[in-house]
Amino acid sequence: MIRIEGLTKEYAGNAVVRDVSMEIEAATITVIVGTSGSGKSTFLRMINRLVEPTKGVVEIDGTDTREMKAYELRRRIGYAIQDHGLFPHWTVARNIATVPKLLGWDRKKIDARVHELLELLQLDPDEIAPRYPHQLSGGQAQRVGVARALAARPDMLLMDEPFGALDPVIRAKAQTDLKSIQDRLGSTILLVTHDMAEAIRLGDRIAVMSEGRVEQLAPPAEILTHPASDNVRNLVGDDDRPFRYLSLIPVSERTEEGTAEGTPIAADRSLYDALAEMIWSGREVLPVVGEDGSARGLVRRGALLDAARSVA
Amino acid sequence: MIPRPDKLGAPMGALLAVALALPLASYRANRIALAEARGLFEALPAVWAAALLACAVATIAVALFVRPPAIRLAVPALTLLLLLIAIGVAARMLMANGADYARVAPGTGFWLAGFALSILITDAIVRLKPGPFLRLGVFALAAAAIAAILVTGEWNALSILAEYRGHAATFWREGAHHLQLAFGSLAAAIAAGVPIGILIHRSERLKGPVLSTLSLIQTIPSIALFGMLIVPLSWVAANVPGASEIGIRGIGMAPAFVALFLYSLLPMVANTAAGLSGVSPSVTEAAAGMGLTSRQRLISVELPLALPVILTGVRIVLVQNIGLTTIAALIGGGGFGTFVFQGLGQTATDLILLGALPTVALAFAAAVVLDAVIDVLPGAKA
Repeated sequence: MIRIEGLTKEYAGNAVVRDVSMEIEAATITVIVGTSGSGKSTFLRMINRLVEPTKGVVEIDGTDTREMKAYELRRRIGYAIQDHGLFPHWTVARNIATVPKLLGWDRKKIDARVHELLELLQLDPDEIAPRYPHQLSGGQAQRVGVARALAARPDMLLMDEPFGALDPVIRAKAQTDLKSIQDRLGSTILLVTHDMAEAIRLGDRIAVMSEGRVEQLAPPAEILTHPASDNVRNLVGDDDRPFRYLSLIPVSERTEEGTAEGTPIAADRSLYDALAEMIWSGREVLPVVGEDGSARGLVRRGALLDAARSVA
Repeated sequence: MIPRPDKLGAPMGALLAVALALPLASYRANRIALAEARGLFEALPAVWAAALLACAVATIAVALFVRPPAIRLAVPALTLLLLLIAIGVAARMLMANGADYARVAPGTGFWLAGFALSILITDAIVRLKPGPFLRLGVFALAAAAIAAILVTGEWNALSILAEYRGHAATFWREGAHHLQLAFGSLAAAIAAGVPIGILIHRSERLKGPVLSTLSLIQTIPSIALFGMLIVPLSWVAANVPGASEIGIRGIGMAPAFVALFLYSLLPMVANTAAGLSGVSPSVTEAAAGMGLTSRQRLISVELPLALPVILTGVRIVLVQNIGLTTIAALIGGGGFGTFVFQGLGQTATDLILLGALPTVALAFAAAVVLDAVIDVLPGAKA
């Protein structure tokens, strides 16, 4: 568990981050969202002391981070950034091995870990490990960046706009993959983004930052239904609110008894996806199937619209 | 229809045509007598002259109208080889009916043709886009060809080799001095320049003053700088115990070494700083975020990534120093410059060439080798 108490950063008297406190549960994703200049990156960089706080405390599992050497602290915390920051003169394998090497793992253990991580991120180890970063696509480089951050089984993972440089299609895939990796490994992730849709898709909790303060820290549904301030409301966007809300609810929650014609939708997709499918195929009812492809019932357009209206 | 002539081939072909009309060799009754020009057919046996002429005409045609770079390389290279051998033949023929102290030197036609052919060859090599190893191979081949011509005595009748025979003992000694000065001052400049470069990369406050001071030094004419160092170094030699025992004097190698070192600092410092600031900020940020200590970041990330730019600085310094060392002879520093200044004093062109040609060859070799090394580095790909 991470406990943050009164964290403040001032540059020449100007506060960039003001008195931020929060607790982050293990094995959850917390997303910090805000416009540029809101202090979200500075806040993130104070956790691994790339920026030294002016005031305040960060405790990881009860240990004050100021009691450790900065570089030792950083080796315990995974760090992934927008432009992936892979070392261009090292192969993918050597890049991923960075922190394990610093920690003095033996060669066999490192090789096994690199292999395991590449497979976890759906990269072919034999093909990708010997490559140099300039031989990777943007999506591959981003995944290698995440693998490198996870390499030494860190206590937590800090991610600063990790998908910022990816095109929309790869970006959506990368988000889904991160979510499933986090489910599988039970990692604690603190992720910074300016994109509210990304925050809603990934976050167990969302912290909305503005002018150095956390304006609201709540689960995504609450951010949508009860925005604490105009800033939070603006970040979501009034037009998008019902759609964002639909994207949070799985189809299974509004599935009714019955059968319907046409291409079915999977029960674990969101109501947002179901509505898109209805609009696109001109249907009012979609059949719902489970993971194994078995019929689960149907979902009606009326039920979707009712769910969306409940936000207002 | 005649195709459009090649852009570079046209002027070089024209130059080659002009060179054929100019004297191939010059003949002097003795070392400092006035030169008499000898044209292509006067200087060479008819067969040789005709062969050279045919090759030159073929080269002009290739330079103007042939596209494949391999042919553009092979034909001028063959012509150049023939020209190099022919000048030796010409010297033997012209010397045959002269006295022992007569001199035969390459004439304007030879130099001009050599220049045009070299440009054509270089251009063809560039068009072939060779990798670093192929470039080194081509260079080694050219060096081997010249060495073979020298060893077999093909050029022994040429005046510059007559001059060499007169100075054989000092030639190698001055050559060693030349290399000591050029490489020694380079080593000192690397040892001092890289740390200073790292320092000014990290401190924006120091950057301006340090770079302007070094630029200022760079603007002092070399002869003036050599002269300016005589006074302080004489003082050091006279007043610091042990200084004169290790060879520090107002004239000689010491001031030359110091001056070359000072000239080398700007390229070394500026290139180190530029190389370091060229490292992507996301890379340095990631390195810090992963938990590399400041020293580990510098040694395993920043310096390796800056290495190609730093080596470019080394290349600049080495080529510059090999040339500048020539002037060190003025203050008794030794080196190939000794022959240049002796030659100037005696108006003996051949002696000047004996100092100048090895200097040019050394500088050229240093440039080719270091360029290849820079291309081989893994950081260069990024």
